[in-house]
Amino acid sequence: MTSTPTTLPKRDQSARLENWARAFYRFRQSWLSVIGLAIVVMLVAVALFAPLIVPHPEHVAGGTNTAARFTAPGADFWFGTNALGQDVFSLVLVGSQVSLFSGLAVVIIAIVVGGLVGAIAGYFGGWIDEILMRITDLLLTIPSLILAMAVAAALGTGVTNMIIAIAITWWPAYARLVRGEVIGKKEEQFITAAKALGASWPRILGRHILPNIMSPIIVKASLDMGFAVLTVASLGFVGIGVKAPTPEWGTLLSVARADMPDYWWTAVFPGCAIFLAVLAFNLLGDGLRDVMDPKARR
Amino acid sequence: MTLLDIKNLNLSMRSFEGETQILHGIDLKVERGEIWGMVGETGSGKSLTGLSVSRLIPPATGRYLAGSIEFEGRDVLKAGEKEMRALRGRKIGMIFQDPTTNLNPVFRIGTQLVDVALHAGHADPTVLGLEPGASSRDLKKAAKRVAVEMLDKVGIPKAAERIHDYPHQFSGGMRQRVLIAMAMIGKPDLLIADEPTTALDVSVQAQILKLIHDLVAERNIGVLMITHNLGVVAQICSHVAVMYRGRILERGLVTDVLKKPSHVYTQALLNSIPTAHTKRGELRGLGGVMPEVQ
Amino acid sequence: MILYTLRRLILLIPMLIGLTMIVFAIARLLPGDPVALAAGPNATPDVIESVRQEFGLDKSLPQQYWAYVTGLVQGDWGVSIFTRRPVFEDIMTFLPATLELVAAAMLIAIVLGIPLGLAAAVYRNGVVDYLTRTVALGGIAMPRFFLGLLLQLMFVSWLDILPLSGRFPLIEIPPEGPTGIYTIDSIVAGDWYSLTIALQHLALPAFAMSLSPLATIMRMMRASTIEVLQQDFVMTERALGISNTKILFKYVLKNAMTSTLTVIGLYVSWLLGGTVLVETVFDWPGLGLYATQAILSQDFMPVIGVTLVIAMIYLVTMLIVDLLYGVFNPRVRYT
Repeated sequence: MTSTPTTLPKRDQSARLENWARAFYRFRQSWLSVIGLAIVVMLVAVALFAPLIVPHPEHVAGGTNTAARFTAPGADFWFGTNALGQDVFSLVLVGSQVSLFSGLAVVIIAIVVGGLVGAIAGYFGGWIDEILMRITDLLLTIPSLILAMAVAAALGTGVTNMIIAIAITWWPAYARLVRGEVIGKKEEQFITAAKALGASWPRILGRHILPNIMSPIIVKASLDMGFAVLTVASLGFVGIGVKAPTPEWGTLLSVARADMPDYWWTAVFPGCAIFLAVLAFNLLGDGLRDVMDPKARR
Repeated sequence: MTLLDIKNLNLSMRSFEGETQILHGIDLKVERGEIWGMVGETGSGKSLTGLSVSRLIPPATGRYLAGSIEFEGRDVLKAGEKEMRALRGRKIGMIFQDPTTNLNPVFRIGTQLVDVALHAGHADPTVLGLEPGASSRDLKKAAKRVAVEMLDKVGIPKAAERIHDYPHQFSGGMRQRVLIAMAMIGKPDLLIADEPTTALDVSVQAQILKLIHDLVAERNIGVLMITHNLGVVAQICSHVAVMYRGRILERGLVTDVLKKPSHVYTQALLNSIPTAHTKRGELRGLGGVMPEVQ
Repeated sequence: MILYTLRRLILLIPMLIGLTMIVFAIARLLPGDPVALAAGPNATPDVIESVRQEFGLDKSLPQQYWAYVTGLVQGDWGVSIFTRRPVFEDIMTFLPATLELVAAAMLIAIVLGIPLGLAAAVYRNGVVDYLTRTVALGGIAMPRFFLGLLLQLMFVSWLDILPLSGRFPLIEIPPEGPTGIYTIDSIVAGDWYSLTIALQHLALPAFAMSLSPLATIMRMMRASTIEVLQQDFVMTERALGISNTKILFKYVLKNAMTSTLTVIGLYVSWLLGGTVLVETVFDWPGLGLYATQAILSQDFMPVIGVTLVIAMIYLVTMLIVDLLYGVFNPRVRYT
């Protein structure tokens, strides 16, 4: 077979379709991210419906049952009971509310504040960029956990204060990310075209640049959700953050330390909940990164 | 004995879209002193033919369906990894396209050159001008000396000093000279050059081609020059094989094929080269697409 | 390169000035009255006022800042309202314990992480790869304090082979030495008995702390090795007959180290800032516990001091990383 057809086959697939096929291939390859997504969906469902499904809502509200204290895990109390006789299973389920809600709030605040600072610095450049980025860099050198602890302690206990405290230490990372992306995009043709058409800078940033840099932000946010949950629990563990009776995983773990090692279940189940939540968001974030940002694949 | 004899080579490659056959029965003979040009478009399978000769296609992705590649009478497709390593760098030298990415950026060029020389010297100390059975200390010394000599030979000025420099301290053309020195330091009998001038400036291209041509003439070795550029073929090749979608459409002496192409595709390929006589609007591209290879 | 180092050191000065300003501003802008807390619930307004004057808190903010910065330079880092001891002395007491912990954790992470990451990349999809990837996934998600508790449960309660907490038994006399780092001091003194005790106490907290950097270093090393293995020069080196062992341990390793190095540098500061979690679990008398106590009693000076020390160590670490980066990557120019 040495003859050549004079007419050659045309390309039958559109480029976009091929991209989707590749993305799907990558996602299918990392079945771990599918598991991550499944756990995240489950956690969100638990957080939303926890008050309805917990077996002992009275314990969540702060009620105690000293007659049944330190019951080992069993049919009545799946995760056992703690020093106050409260059902650990109920506490852990409801604890997901504080963790997920605060984690989400921290990430959103960090994206909004950091995104704004980064976008302005990157778009205008010059001395505005210089000043904003110097401050950002300085904040990045400060140990974030200590800063968050100090702020949270000064503001007083409570979910809102804790969220503010963590968000203060988190926005600089987003400012760096967004600034870099904006600088990369602002020289592109379509931005020059929009400028030539007389679009104002908020419009250019909001309508033309922002939609084009969402991928890395979403990827970072999904990875950060895990670490935000971890930080919330860390603050709870060192005794700064949400206070009882509101159930929170880190606080539960911190209180349970006193009952180790004999009543291990009081600590192990909240700990596993933190681990599972952080793991799930990490898996999801990894998967999203593979699909949305293949160049940054690590 | 024929230096290189490729018979009915059939190769398929795996990618996420499935397995695709890339080479459909390649036949090619290269004798000492011949410079074979392999021309064809991107994806026609010419690079994979070159890599197959040194068996550098990972077994996980490439599968040989049929055929043989005999180098000095031995089939490399049946050779073990150890046997292949003895051939690479010593009997078969290779040069690749992009001199910026083919030199290890974090090592001095001398380090890489000496390592190749040492490898060749271990297999055959005479390559470094030593008696068989030379001590490893002598080998090291000789490798360093030969590395400087080779750099000098490929036209790097002040070779003894520049051997301590890093790749980024050289221009593109100079880097390709270093890579040629690395490929030739083991005194190979066959040189496979995969687009050695494509990434270079036009003015540098001619110098590099002349360098390869002179080295080949001096040592009387066989060359497989892979290129998409018919100009390169016309300049230094003695023979040419035209490839299209994994097949060799026609082959022969350069003078015959380029003057009187017998195949429509070769004619089309020749017509697509702009010359000083080409009129505006007359330039032709080729229709169709290559099968995709990852 | 010496010039570059000097210039970088000089550039640290404005950074540090900026840092003190920001930290000071944050500390003072926050609500809360440390004086009232320190003076106790029964203190009369007169007592509170005298405490306020004693610590210079009655002056304006710029005046307070100026007094603080001039003090800093002279080694006077303020006085802790609670312990009534100079902050600088306190920090010097607690810093060696924290440094020992962080250094031990980083050592474990590097010594295990680099070879495992390399092996995972080479034997991709093999047993080592799956093992390291599982450890990497779990290691990043595992809270250090929870891991610490689990380790205590296993090695102390069940196996009973290691001490529960602390840095040295109260009934023993810790080794005296120039560094204050017990392991190093006991080696210097040739005191093997103390070294054993110090290592036994160090093992669990250091391991609890090392898992996260270990996971990241492994991941980074694996990813960059895979990336380097796909580079053109690896093909050239293979095509010219250089052995796979040499390619991997000589040519690929050095390339892959550059990106891993940055991660190592970042982790040093991350661990320093996060020691508080592990120190709480193991009652490790370090900066973290000290800072926590100060934070809980809203005692500014120690918090500012600890923050500054950690930030300074971070800046110096990043400088060292940048200098080392040039060793691994000759393309870096020091200008």
